[in-house]
Amino acid sequence: MKQGRNLWATFVASGFGLFFLMPIFGAIYTALRTDNAIASGPFVWEFDRDWSHFKNAMGAAGYDFASFFQNSALISIGTVILTVFISLPAAYSIVRLGFGGAWLLRIALALRILPAVFFIIPFYKLFTNLGMVDSIRGLILANTFVNLTLALLIFASAIKELPYEIEEAAFVDGAGVFRTLWSIILPLMGPGLAAVGVLTFIFSWSDYLFAVVLSSSEATPVTVGAANFVTSYGVRWGDISAAVTLSILPPLIFATAAQRYLVKGLSAGAIKG
Amino acid sequence: MRGKSRAAAFLLASPFLLFLSILVIWPTYLGLKTALSRDLLSEFEITPAGLDNFRMVLEQPQFWEALRFTIIFALSVTVLECLLGFALALVFDRKFPGKTFLFSVTLVPIMIAPSLMAVMYRLILNQNIGVVPGFLQKFGIEISIFDERYIFWTLVTLDALQYTSFTFLLIYAALQNMPSEVYESAAIDGASPRQIIARITIPILKPAIAIIAMLRLIDSFRTFDTIYIMTGGGPGTTTQTIGIHIYKTAFITGDFGMASAMSILLVMLLTPFMPFIIRQFRLDVK
Repeated sequence: MKQGRNLWATFVASGFGLFFLMPIFGAIYTALRTDNAIASGPFVWEFDRDWSHFKNAMGAAGYDFASFFQNSALISIGTVILTVFISLPAAYSIVRLGFGGAWLLRIALALRILPAVFFIIPFYKLFTNLGMVDSIRGLILANTFVNLTLALLIFASAIKELPYEIEEAAFVDGAGVFRTLWSIILPLMGPGLAAVGVLTFIFSWSDYLFAVVLSSSEATPVTVGAANFVTSYGVRWGDISAAVTLSILPPLIFATAAQRYLVKGLSAGAIKG
Repeated sequence: MRGKSRAAAFLLASPFLLFLSILVIWPTYLGLKTALSRDLLSEFEITPAGLDNFRMVLEQPQFWEALRFTIIFALSVTVLECLLGFALALVFDRKFPGKTFLFSVTLVPIMIAPSLMAVMYRLILNQNIGVVPGFLQKFGIEISIFDERYIFWTLVTLDALQYTSFTFLLIYAALQNMPSEVYESAAIDGASPRQIIARITIPILKPAIAIIAMLRLIDSFRTFDTIYIMTGGGPGTTTQTIGIHIYKTAFITGDFGMASAMSILLVMLLTPFMPFIIRQFRLDVK
């Protein structure tokens, strides 16, 4: 097919793209302008040469935003590690060692359908009893719970695609189950790990509901922090815009770099067969 | 399988099982217990209340109002997002200049937290400083986007801006899996592009689109972040989703018992979808 013939498709796709990116452009545009310009109307072009909104957001104005950012990073990275640690061995056990058969995967799928809001009250009570309210640990556990199903499904389908002969040969050579998992399966799980990693990172960075219920100040991530910004510092749109612009960057960079795995993971987890 | 291997299988799955029992079975028990108790933030004592909470929820007009809003909202966004996603997938199902770049751009909303998106929406839609009202005013359109008359469609549009990427991606993936021979033979037989879409693409994609729509429907049923940050459920309670209503009942009104009863009713409402979803996945185990 000749490329030049489909310029209309470029236009249509660009139109959608513009709409999708509009909020981000709006935030960057506002963050770069002076407070005076922001207050005078949306089309007053007066740019701030000192980046003061970004400096304010990162701590110059006494906001806690830098610590929200750190919390989000710790929660997301912790969730990725715990999710992989729990779901990869379980997927191997289910797929290759026949543990629990298909019903375990069914339970995991059924969980995907339960709304998170069903769990907020029990989690709040449970975490209060365990002394884990407003802690990074607590939010890592809650987010792992949310991401476990998708991770299990992605790993299960990735393991299924591996030729069984390699493992068989390892068994014949006297390697045990753990040895096989560690030195045969794990090195071949690159794409699966990338898919689970990128999706889990996005979803735990995006969590709002659990964070708003299970954190109050110490463990507050950027999502809750930014939303509170709007209500408590309602008029400081420049600082808010800078804070939001910074907050969307880590998942955006990570996911764009790992886009291939994002696409694969989402389609494996959402529709299979 | 040999005994040793069975032990290993159990050992490997044990973190998962432990996790499930601590974070699923125990909370489910707690949720049921709370739903059957008088459990108020203002009272220290928690007392058994039988089915009182369920009775109170079913008699509460706000609950039905929230349920009605949630159902209408979920159906609207699902239909809109599947249509737009399908249209966009058809656009991308060919070569065109800038395709790789525009594909990445199209996926951006998936990578952004709905709550942060909502903050940005509030910024660009702000009546005084927002770019969108600013543009509308230039064309002489003076409407308040958050007015009770328009708020529903505002929220539907914003949801579509975030989640059309998701439906697009999945429909596009399904489209790529279609055998190209089908198209070729249809084209050889002289079918027009429109005929090919109507007679071949849509029928073949129907099962995939059905499952994507079902996933979107279930997900949009629990919409919380965006609407809560945009409107807080207002004006009044006109945009209160069931999720927002449950959250407010528990953490603002302080009635854990009633909020738990509502979440159990919500789960019961979603349960009929479960077998449908489970059947869609190939769960064969080697």
